[in-house]
Amino acid sequence: MDKTFRLILLVFAILATSMVTEVVLSITNLQRANRSAQWVNHTHAFIAEINAAVTAGQRAESALHAFLLTNNPDQRAQMSQAFGELSEHIEAAKALAASEAESKSEVAELETALIARADIARALLAAHRSGDTDSIHQQLSEDDPTQIDALASLNRRIVSRHQGLLQQRDRVEFNRDNRTRNTLYVGAGLTLLLLLISSWFIRDDLKSRRREAALLAASNEELEARVAERTSELKQSNRKLRAENLESRWSAQALEHQLRYNNLIIESVASPVVVVTRALNISRVNPAFENLIGELAPALVDQSISEFVKLAIDESGDEMIDPFELSLRSNQDLVDHAANAIDHNHKSRPMLASLHPLRDHDRVVGGVITLRPSN
Amino acid sequence: MAMSIGHLRGQPDLTPKKFSRMFSDFNFELFDYVQTPEEFLRTKSGDCDDYACLADDVLKPKGFETRLIHIRLVGMTSHAVCYVTEDGAYLDYNNRNIFFTMTRSDPSLRKIAGKVARSLNANWTSAFEFDFSYNNQRKNITAKVVRTQDPSTDPPPGKAAPRPNPFLVE
Repeated sequence: MDKTFRLILLVFAILATSMVTEVVLSITNLQRANRSAQWVNHTHAFIAEINAAVTAGQRAESALHAFLLTNNPDQRAQMSQAFGELSEHIEAAKALAASEAESKSEVAELETALIARADIARALLAAHRSGDTDSIHQQLSEDDPTQIDALASLNRRIVSRHQGLLQQRDRVEFNRDNRTRNTLYVGAGLTLLLLLISSWFIRDDLKSRRREAALLAASNEELEARVAERTSELKQSNRKLRAENLESRWSAQALEHQLRYNNLIIESVASPVVVVTRALNISRVNPAFENLIGELAPALVDQSISEFVKLAIDESGDEMIDPFELSLRSNQDLVDHAANAIDHNHKSRPMLASLHPLRDHDRVVGGVITLRPSN
Repeated sequence: MAMSIGHLRGQPDLTPKKFSRMFSDFNFELFDYVQTPEEFLRTKSGDCDDYACLADDVLKPKGFETRLIHIRLVGMTSHAVCYVTEDGAYLDYNNRNIFFTMTRSDPSLRKIAGKVARSLNANWTSAFEFDFSYNNQRKNITAKVVRTQDPSTDPPPGKAAPRPNPFLVE
């Protein structure tokens, strides 16, 4: 794993962490915003129920007063319906206030005040039913107007406190929203920065790789040029070797021809010729020697020359060394030495033998013995 | 021929489904009170309260366990439905002229309120179960659920006994 790859991996790991954090933060904020919205809806609903309850109470009392004046049953029905609505709104307000002690006590206070108004209405209706108009007049004149003012004041106080709570909540949410927005901006900025860094790394790496590729291409070209040059040299050398090879073949053929001619000459010579080794064993004979001895070459080869050619020994005794041996040892030719050729019937013939040492550089490796009849 | 309450009450095999099908041609008109069955059936015009209360009034004597439910919605008029326990579904006036006139729901007040609110693309704040009588036009709340409260404190589904109403002035 190269350095750039590790760096990009690190950048992307940070990027992924940042994005996951942003997602978690966003989900948390959404959940919090949802809870907050529910709380706001709840508080507005509470205010609406309180207002509706007080309004329903006022409508009920208005309808009652109208009924007492006009005796119109519709007014009575409206009063009854308005008290029914009042009851419904108070129940709703109680339910909405159940989770907060202060609201609960506010609703209880309001309910008590409204029940007092319902009791007054009930007493007025009872007086109306009995036809006691004096009692109705007395009850109406004794009705404490401050009670109605107190009810309106209580309504305003409850609503005002909840509006204050809404305002506080709104401020908190506003600040929280700002913080969230800033956090998201920072996150987005960080993401962008990291993307820029990673793109810079990638660009730099690509540039470096392109440079390396160009260098490699140049190196390849140089190498190819060298290979072409060397190939050309090898071709030239090969051509030269082929020519030399042809020349040496021609030379070998010439030597072979020469050898064949020489062999033909030796084969056709009338004088017996024997080639011996350094140990004076026969290695080759010509047909004249075969005729002389009466044996074919295979029977003669590897036999000692002394078996077939007996040199005359000097009587003085100095010639105890074989003249052939002496000739080879001294590397000097032996010419026309008296000898006898012994054939296969042990018949002897006087001959003159000559030996010419064969040399390989300065070393004697054998010799050529020629025989000719002595007169 | 206009439908009558006698006709509805006189059908022994009337089911909630059949009941709901009879209102497909009714119009919506908001009233600030619950109309009498005669008025509602004659004018073929009414609101969710009229429909739910009539369903409760007609189906209950036929042996169905019905529950009247009021859902308080944000920025909207409260919505009433009639839940039929045997069907595990509620009758909603808004669904009177679509194929599925009854909407299946869990019997809990909270679940019903949530489902109704979703059908209206609104948030709900509280829901109430109530009894209604055409005689005194009075709704008596028997169970309450507030959205922001812990669901574990919700009342169990079913009918609770109505409490004495201190605002009963007649």
